[in-house]
Amino acid sequence: MNTASHDPRALLRKTAMTVLTTFIIVLCVAPFLLVLAISFGRKVEGAAWVWDFTFANYQRFFVGTLWPDEVTFLYLQQLSYSFYFALIASIFAVLTALPFTLTLSKLSRNAQAAWLVFIMSSLSLSEVFIVMGWDILLSNNSGLPKLFRETGLTQWLKDVGWFQTLRDWGLANPRNVKFKTSDFATVLTMSYLVWPYAVILLYPALSRLDPSLSEAARTMGAGRWTITRTVTLPSIRLPLLGTTLLLFVFLLGTYVAVTVFAAPHKQTVAVAIYSNVRGSNLNAPFGSAQAIMLLISASFCLYLGHLLNKKAEAP
Amino acid sequence: MRIGSMIYMWLSALVLAMPIFVVCAAALNSGRSMFFPPREPTLARFKEFFISEPIWTEALMNSIIVAFGAASLAVLMAWPIAYMLWSSGSKLSKILAGLGSMPFAVPPIVFGVGLGFFWAFTGGLGEMWAGIISHAVLLMALPIVTISIGLQSIDRSHLNAAATMGATDQVAFRTVVLPQTIPYSISGFFFVLVLSFNEFIVIFFVSASSYATVTLQIFNSLRNGYTPTMAVAAITFLSVSIIVFAAVARWGDLPRLMGADPTRK
Amino acid sequence: MHDLVLKGVSKSFGNTVAVEPIDLTFGKGQLTALLGPSGCGKTTLLRMLAGLEEPTIGQITLGGEDITFKRAHKRKFGMVFQSFALFPHYTVRENVAYSLTISGVAKDIAFAKADELLNTVQLGGFGDRRIGQLSGGQRQRVAIARALAQEPKVFLLDEPMSALDAKLREEMQVELRMLQQSLGITTIVVTHDQREAMTMADKIVVMSNGRVEQVAPPQEIYHKPANAFVADFIGKTNFFDGVFENGKVQIGQTILDCDAGFIEGSDIRVAIRPEQIYIDTAPDVNRISADVTFVRDLGPVQEYHLNSEIGPLIVEYAAGEDLANKPIMGQKTTVRLPPDALQVFPREPRP
Repeated sequence: MNTASHDPRALLRKTAMTVLTTFIIVLCVAPFLLVLAISFGRKVEGAAWVWDFTFANYQRFFVGTLWPDEVTFLYLQQLSYSFYFALIASIFAVLTALPFTLTLSKLSRNAQAAWLVFIMSSLSLSEVFIVMGWDILLSNNSGLPKLFRETGLTQWLKDVGWFQTLRDWGLANPRNVKFKTSDFATVLTMSYLVWPYAVILLYPALSRLDPSLSEAARTMGAGRWTITRTVTLPSIRLPLLGTTLLLFVFLLGTYVAVTVFAAPHKQTVAVAIYSNVRGSNLNAPFGSAQAIMLLISASFCLYLGHLLNKKAEAP
Repeated sequence: MRIGSMIYMWLSALVLAMPIFVVCAAALNSGRSMFFPPREPTLARFKEFFISEPIWTEALMNSIIVAFGAASLAVLMAWPIAYMLWSSGSKLSKILAGLGSMPFAVPPIVFGVGLGFFWAFTGGLGEMWAGIISHAVLLMALPIVTISIGLQSIDRSHLNAAATMGATDQVAFRTVVLPQTIPYSISGFFFVLVLSFNEFIVIFFVSASSYATVTLQIFNSLRNGYTPTMAVAAITFLSVSIIVFAAVARWGDLPRLMGADPTRK
Repeated sequence: MHDLVLKGVSKSFGNTVAVEPIDLTFGKGQLTALLGPSGCGKTTLLRMLAGLEEPTIGQITLGGEDITFKRAHKRKFGMVFQSFALFPHYTVRENVAYSLTISGVAKDIAFAKADELLNTVQLGGFGDRRIGQLSGGQRQRVAIARALAQEPKVFLLDEPMSALDAKLREEMQVELRMLQQSLGITTIVVTHDQREAMTMADKIVVMSNGRVEQVAPPQEIYHKPANAFVADFIGKTNFFDGVFENGKVQIGQTILDCDAGFIEGSDIRVAIRPEQIYIDTAPDVNRISADVTFVRDLGPVQEYHLNSEIGPLIVEYAAGEDLANKPIMGQKTTVRLPPDALQVFPREPRP
C-alpha cells in the first residue's frame, strides 16, 4: 500500500469517525445525564430551580413531601396508572393483532406488501391525529353515542336492562352511553396506537414460521385449533412476550390519549412530567425525578425484552 | 385460507381505518367545530391550511424543513455506523449503534425533557437547527436498521468476485456495496421523514414555543379543541405516509425490511 | 515458463490447520482439479491462489515472480464462484465488462469485448438481460465470461457445477474443458465430484484433511491410487483388512497371491475394483467361494453383491461383457481375484 497517497484518506476517515462518535455520545447520553442531574436539584419559589444534591424529589415521589409526618402515594399512584393503562392496552393489542398477522404472513408477497403499506401508514400517523379521530367517534354529541341514540340501540339496551350494567361500569349517563372520560376509551385508543406496531413486531417471527411444521402436525391428525395450540403458539411464545413488553414501554410515554380520555384523577406519570417541566407547575427537578423513574421502569422492561429476544434466538 | 381469518383481517382493517376515515370526513366541515357526519361539506379548510392561514402554512414549512433535515442527517450519521457494524463488527461500532438506538427505545417524553435541558445549556433552545438535530438523533435507529439489513443482504462472494477482477476496496465499495444498499438507505430516509412529520413531544420541548411544526401546532391548541383545519393536516400527512410507503414497497422490498424471511417468496 | 508454484504453503485459522504445508506446481495451460471431500482444505487453497487469503507460511510464485502477498485485485486471476456471485444490479453485459470498466477501459470497447465473450459462451444477444432473468446454466456461462474478460494468467473455479442439475453439469464439464483447451489458459478447478475431475482435468490433486494425498493424471489416480484413502474416494472399491505373510496376503484364513512387497507380518489393507473381480469357475489362483446376496442390472453395468469367505464384496460387469452363467440371488459360486488387480496398502489408523 502506498502510504503517501493513503495517509490523508485514512486521516480524514479517522477524523470523521471521531466527530461522529463525539456527536452521538454527547447527543444520546448527555440529555439523559442532565435529567438525572437536575432530578437532584431544588425548586426555588418564584424562580426556576437551582443545582443541588438532594433526594427530596425522590422522597416526594415515593412517600410525599411531608414524610414522615404524613404519607401520600399520589405520585406512585400516577406511576401505577401508567402501568395499568399500558399493560392492558399492550396485551389487548397483541392478542388482537396476532390472528391478523398470522393471516397476513400466509398471503402472497405482493398482498403482504400492500397490507404493510396500510399498516405502516397508520403506524406513522401521529398520536394527535389518532386521538382526534377517536375523540370524534367517542364524544358525547357525535360519533358512536349519537349512532347508539339514533338507531335506537340505547333504547334497546335500556329495555333489556343492560344499560344499568353500562352505567355501573361508568360507560353511560342517565340519558345515553358515554365513553368520555373512561378507562375503556383510554385503553381502546392506546391499543389502537400500538396495534400497527404489534403487527410489525410479530410479523418477522410469524413470517419465518416453517410451514412444514404445521403440515407435519396435520399429517399426524392435528386439527386447526390443535395446531395453533401445540405448534404455532409454543414456537412464538417468546416473540409474543417480547412484543408485549416493547409495546408496554412505548405506551408508558403516552400523553395525548391520556389527557383527553382518562379521568382527571387517573392521569399518568407522562402527563405529570409534562406539567412539571413545561406546564403549569414549573417544577423541573421534580419532573426530572419522575422522568428518571419512568426511564428506570422502561429500561428494566427493555432489558427483560432483550433477554427474551436472546433466548428466542438461541438454538 | 379459511374464510374466518380473512373476515377477521378485513374487520381489523375496518376498525383501523375508522378513526382515520372520520378525521378525513371532518375536514369537510364548514364551521369551526368538528362534526361527523360533516355539516355543509366544503373544501374551504384545505384552502385555509395550504394557502390563507399563515399559522398553518408556516407550520407546514417548518415541518418540511425539520423532516427533510432530520432525515438527511439521520441517514448521514447512520451510514458509517451501519457500515462499521457490518465490515468490522468492532466494539466501537456496537456501542455507537446501541447508543444511537437508545433515544428511540425509551419513552420520548424523557428524551424530550433531556434535550430541552441540553439545548437550554448549549444555546440551541428554540432554534430550528436544534430541532433538526434532535429529530435526527431520536430517529437515527431506523436508518441504522434498514442500512444494516441492506448490507447484510450483500453476498460476501460478490466482494471477493470484485477483488479477483481488479477492484480495490474503494472501487468495490462504489460498484458493489453502494448500489445494492441505496434502496435501503432511501427507505431509512423515508421512515425518518414520515415519523419526524408526526412527532410532537420532543419537538415541543426543544422548540420552546419559538416555532411550531404542524403536529406541534395541533398539540398546542389541544386545549381549545379540534378544528376541521387540523383534519386537513391529518389528511395531508396520511397521504404523505401512504405515498412514501407505497414507494418503498414498489422500489424496495418492504416485507424484507419488516423482517420477513428473504428466501421465501 | 509461467508455471504457478506453491512452496511449503500452509494456512491455519487460529489453532486449526486448514491446509498443511503443500508443494505443488500448476503447469502452464493445464487444467488441474483440486479434488476432495468437503472440509479438506481445497477451497482454502484456491482462495490463497486467488489472493483472497494469505498463507500462514510458504511462498506462491507465478513465472518466477513472488505473488504470496499480492492482494486479489492486483493479482487479477479470474475466478468463478460457487454461487457465481453475479452482481444483481448490473445487466449481463455490465457484469462481463466489469473488470474492464473499473480499470478505465472506454465503455464501448469494454462492451464490445463483453459481447464477444458472451458469443464465446453461447450467450450472444443476452447482454441486456438482468441476472434474475437467467437460468442456472446461463448464469454459469456469464460467470465464466466475466472471469475471462480480464484475460487472466490463471483461471480459478470454485465448485463451478454444484448449482447445476446433473444433466446440465455433464454438458458444462465438456464445454468448459473445450473452452479451456482452446484458450490454453492455466486453470484450477475445485470440486468434490470425481467424475467432474476425471472429465476435465489434465492432473488431479486429491486432498483430505488439509493434506495432499496424491497428485497424478486421472487414469493413474484411478488405477494406481497412492493409498487406501484415494482408492476409496475415487470410484467404487472393495476393501479387506489382513496381514502380509510369506509374500502373500492373508485375510482371515484365506491366503491370496499379490504383486506387492511388504515387511513380513505388517498390517495391510487390500483394495480391489468391482470390475476387476470375475465370477467364474475356471481353475486359477486366488479363487474364493461366495454366495450371491443381491443382483441388480443398472443398464450399462450389472452389479452382483456377494458374501464371500473374506467378507462382503461387489462385482461389476459392463453390458456386453459375456458372463456365461449369470448367477442368481441365493446361488453359491466362486469368484476370482487376479493377483495384479489387488492393491495392497499399509493399514494406518484412520483419524
